[in-house]
Amino acid sequence: MSRMAEAVWAELAGIVGEAQLNAEASVCEAFAVDGQTPGCVVSPGSAEQVAQTLDYAAGHGLAVIACGGATKLGIGNPPGKFDIALCTRNIANVRYYEPSDLTAGVGAGMALDELQDLLKADGLWLPLDRSASGKATLGGVVATNASGPLRQFYGAPRDMVVGMQVATTEGKLIRTGGRVVKNVAGYDLGKLLIGSYGTLGVITEVNLKLFPLPAERQTFVLSTGTLGIARDVRRSILTSPIEPLRMVLLDAETAGLVHSGVQSDRLKKTEPQIWVEAGGSKAVIERTLKELDALGRAVGSKVHAYEREGAEKAWQAITDFSNWIGKRYPGAVVLKGTMPIAHSEEFLSLAQQEAQNEKVRLASVAQPGVGILHLGLLDLQNATQSAGLISRIRKAAEKSGGALIVISASPDVKAQVDVWGTPGTGSELMRKLKATWDPKGTLAPGRFVGSI
Amino acid sequence: MGPEGVLSRPEDLMLYEYDGLSALEMPEAVVFPTSTEQVVRMARLAAARKMAITPRGAGTGLSGGSVVTQGGIVISFARMKKILEIDLENQRARVQPGVVNTDLTLAVADDGYYYAPDPSSQKACTIGGNVAENSGGPHTLAYGVTTNHVLGLEVVLPDGEVIRTGGKCWDLPGYDLTGLMVGSEGTLGIVTEVTVRLLRTPEAVETMLAVYDRVMDATRTVAAITAQGITPAALEMMDGFTLRAVEQATHAGYPMDSAAVLLIEVEGLREAVKEQAEQIEAICGGNRVRSVRRAKTTGERALLWKGRKNAFGALGRISPNYYVQDGVIPRTKLPEMLEFIEQVGKKYDLQIGNIFHAGDGNLHPLLMFDARDRDQSQRVVKAAQEIMKRCAELGGSITGEHGVGMEKNELMPLIFSEDDLELQRQIKALMNPTGSFNPGKVLPTSKMCGEIRVQVSAGG
Repeated sequence: MSRMAEAVWAELAGIVGEAQLNAEASVCEAFAVDGQTPGCVVSPGSAEQVAQTLDYAAGHGLAVIACGGATKLGIGNPPGKFDIALCTRNIANVRYYEPSDLTAGVGAGMALDELQDLLKADGLWLPLDRSASGKATLGGVVATNASGPLRQFYGAPRDMVVGMQVATTEGKLIRTGGRVVKNVAGYDLGKLLIGSYGTLGVITEVNLKLFPLPAERQTFVLSTGTLGIARDVRRSILTSPIEPLRMVLLDAETAGLVHSGVQSDRLKKTEPQIWVEAGGSKAVIERTLKELDALGRAVGSKVHAYEREGAEKAWQAITDFSNWIGKRYPGAVVLKGTMPIAHSEEFLSLAQQEAQNEKVRLASVAQPGVGILHLGLLDLQNATQSAGLISRIRKAAEKSGGALIVISASPDVKAQVDVWGTPGTGSELMRKLKATWDPKGTLAPGRFVGSI
Repeated sequence: MGPEGVLSRPEDLMLYEYDGLSALEMPEAVVFPTSTEQVVRMARLAAARKMAITPRGAGTGLSGGSVVTQGGIVISFARMKKILEIDLENQRARVQPGVVNTDLTLAVADDGYYYAPDPSSQKACTIGGNVAENSGGPHTLAYGVTTNHVLGLEVVLPDGEVIRTGGKCWDLPGYDLTGLMVGSEGTLGIVTEVTVRLLRTPEAVETMLAVYDRVMDATRTVAAITAQGITPAALEMMDGFTLRAVEQATHAGYPMDSAAVLLIEVEGLREAVKEQAEQIEAICGGNRVRSVRRAKTTGERALLWKGRKNAFGALGRISPNYYVQDGVIPRTKLPEMLEFIEQVGKKYDLQIGNIFHAGDGNLHPLLMFDARDRDQSQRVVKAAQEIMKRCAELGGSITGEHGVGMEKNELMPLIFSEDDLELQRQIKALMNPTGSFNPGKVLPTSKMCGEIRVQVSAGG
C-alpha cells in the first residue's frame, strides 16, 4: 500500500473489494512497463467493476493499462503515466456456449487455452494457436489481434469476433456486434477495438465464431537451403491446390532453437526450413504430402513428416517466439514486420544483411503466406546500435508498403525509435477517435500509434 | 465534372430516386465523377453549400442506402470503374468503387483466382456499394462478408480530406479505420478506391440439390451438417412457394411439388470434396430427403445457382410487389423461426416466400403484396416488424448483409442499447460533423424504437 495514496486505495477497494486489489511492491513490479511500475493492480470480478474502475480513474486523472495474461503488456511506446494495472483475469466465465451454433461468448479474462479445452470436448476450437506459456487471454488476444501460424488458413481474431462488450472510461458498458455469425447492423465499432491495444476501452466479453476441429493434422518440414529456394517453395505451395492450416519459414537460427527443445535427428538444423501443417481427413493429408513431395523435389528439398506430439510442442514454441526470445536472450529486440506476401523472403534477406553488417545474430519466424515476420535481434551492443538497426530494417518493410513494429525492446531503445513507426494519413482521425472514446487520456496514455 | 458528368433534368433524376428497396425522393442532381479529386471538390462544395451528398454504385441495394432522404446530390460511381491493379503474387487487387463485383472475378478467373463475396446482384452491384453495405452472399458461409476481404481504402472525408487506410498487407499499425469504414453506408466517408484480397479458385467443387417433402426435414439437415463439423462453401434453402416461382422463371430443374430444397456446395481439395459430398448425402438421407441431385457439369451447376441468384426476380414475376427482409438468427433456431414466419403470414393474411442462407442463419423472407392495396401494404410493414423483432429476441440481428440504410434505422434499438447507439452517434458526429454525407441512414432519428421506413408503394 506504500505505493499509493490511502484515499485511492479506499475508493478502489470500495469498487472491487480488497481481495481484488493489490499494491504490494513485488506484485506491482511484475506489471511494470518500460521501467514504470503501477501503484496497484486491480483485478475486477465483473464487467461493471471494470467500468466503475475506469470511471473512477478518469475522474481522478489516473492512468490505467489493461491486460489479461500480460503476455503482450510490453508492446507499445513508454507510457506517459501508469497508475493502475487493470487485470481482467477474474472475468473468465462462459456467458453462453452453443456448440451446434458454433458460437460462444466468454469473459475477456478467460485464457485461450482454457477455452480450447472446453471446446475440444465438442470437437470444436477457436482456430488460434496455443502458445507455450498458456497465459494469453481472449481479451488480450483480441485487443492485440494476436495471431500465430494458423493465420495461414483461418485468419486473425478480427475474422472470428462477432461481438464484444467493452467498458469505457465514462464508466459505461457498450456492446458492439452481436452473437450471430453474420451481422452488419450499425457501425462496426468492434473493428476499432480489435488491435487497439487497450487504448480505447477495456474489453470485458468477447463473442466468438467457432470452427470444427480438423479430423487429423500432420506437420511436414522442408529444408530449403537458401531463401531463394524458400521463396520458390512458398510460391509453389500458394499456387498449388493444397491448403495448409499453418505455414512458417524458420531461419537456421530459429530452426536450431526449436529443435533444441524438440528432438528430431533426421533434420538438418543448419538450414532454413518451411513448416507446413495439413489438416483434414487421411486422404487430404496424404494428398498434401504428395503435392509437397513433388514441389519439394523440383527445388531439391526433401519433405520430412514430423511426429504428432513433438510437432505441437514445436508449433507452440514458434507461436511464442517473441516471449521465448526475450526470456532466453535478455536485452534482445523483437520486431514484427508486415508486408505484401511476395516481399517476405527479400525482406528477410535484407534484414539478415543489416544484422550481419552489425555482427548481430538474427533469429526469425516468417509467415510467408501471410506477409508477417517476427525477427529477434540477439547480442546487441547498445541502444544506439539497436535503434539504428531497427530504423534500417523498418525502411525495408516500409519500402514494400508494409510496416515494422517493435514488439519488445528496452526503454532506452524505445527512447530513440518509435515502436509503431511513422503514422500515415489516417493519424489525425485516429487521434480524434481516441479523444472520443477516452477523452481524458486514461487508457495507456502515449503508448499507441502517434503517441496517442 | 463537365456537362456530360451531371444530370439535372427531372426525367433523368427519376431513375435515381429508387434502389432495390424503394423510392423516396428525387435528388436535385446526379454527378458522375471520374477521379478522387472530383469527389473531393464535390465534398467541399457540399460542405460550403450545406448540401447533402449520397454516394451510389449500381443502386441494387435493399435497404435504401443509396437513395436520398433530404434531396441533395447523388454521386454516382458509374464512371469510376477501373480495375487499377491486379497483383496475383500478393493475392490482391486495387479497384475503383464502380467496378462491378463479377467483373473483378472475371478479370482474374483465368489465372485461377476469384473475389469471394458474391451478392445475388453480383452481375450489377459494385465493389464500392459492397464496401458501403458490407455485403454478403451465399459463399460468405465459408469465406466471410466484405469486411473479411477488404484490406485498404482511399476515403474522402466530409471536409474534403483524403485518407488512405490499410493497404496490401495485414496488421498495419493503428486503429482499423478500414474495418470502421466497411459497412458504414457512406455516412462516415466516401470510398474512392478499394484494395481487396483475391482467393485461389478451389480445385474441385460439388453442387448438390437436396429435395424435401417437409420443410422441417430440410432445416434439420442444415443443423446436422453443421453439427458434424462440415462447413460447406454455401448452404442455401428455398421453400416450396419460392422454388416453384424460381422454376417457372429459370427452369433450373427444381421439382415443382416439393416443400423445400437445399442448395449445398462444397469445395476445396478433390479428396475433401468427395468425402464431404458423401457425408452430406448421408446426412440428407438420415433426414428423410426425397432425392439428392449432384450437378454433373459446370452448366448444370450454373443453372442451379441461376435459380437461386434470380429468386428475387422470379418472385417479382408472380407478385406485383414484394418486401425482402434480412434477419439473422442463431442457426439452431431455424426450425422455430420458420414456424414463426408461417404464423405471421397467417396472422396478416400474407403470402411469404422463404430464401435462407441457412448455413449461417441469415433469412430472407419475402413478403408478397400489391402496393395498390393500402391495407395490404400496411400489413406487410407490421408483419415484417414482427419478424425482425423475433430475430432480435432470439439473439440475432436485423440485418446480415443488406445494411440498415433508411429502412431499419428506426429499429436499431431492438439490438442496441441507448448507450451503444450514443457511442455510434459520437463516432458519426466526429467523422461527419455537418451530417452532409448520406443523411438519414444507419442511426435512428429518435430515441424510441420506431417503425420500418419502407415506401412500400414502389417496392419490388
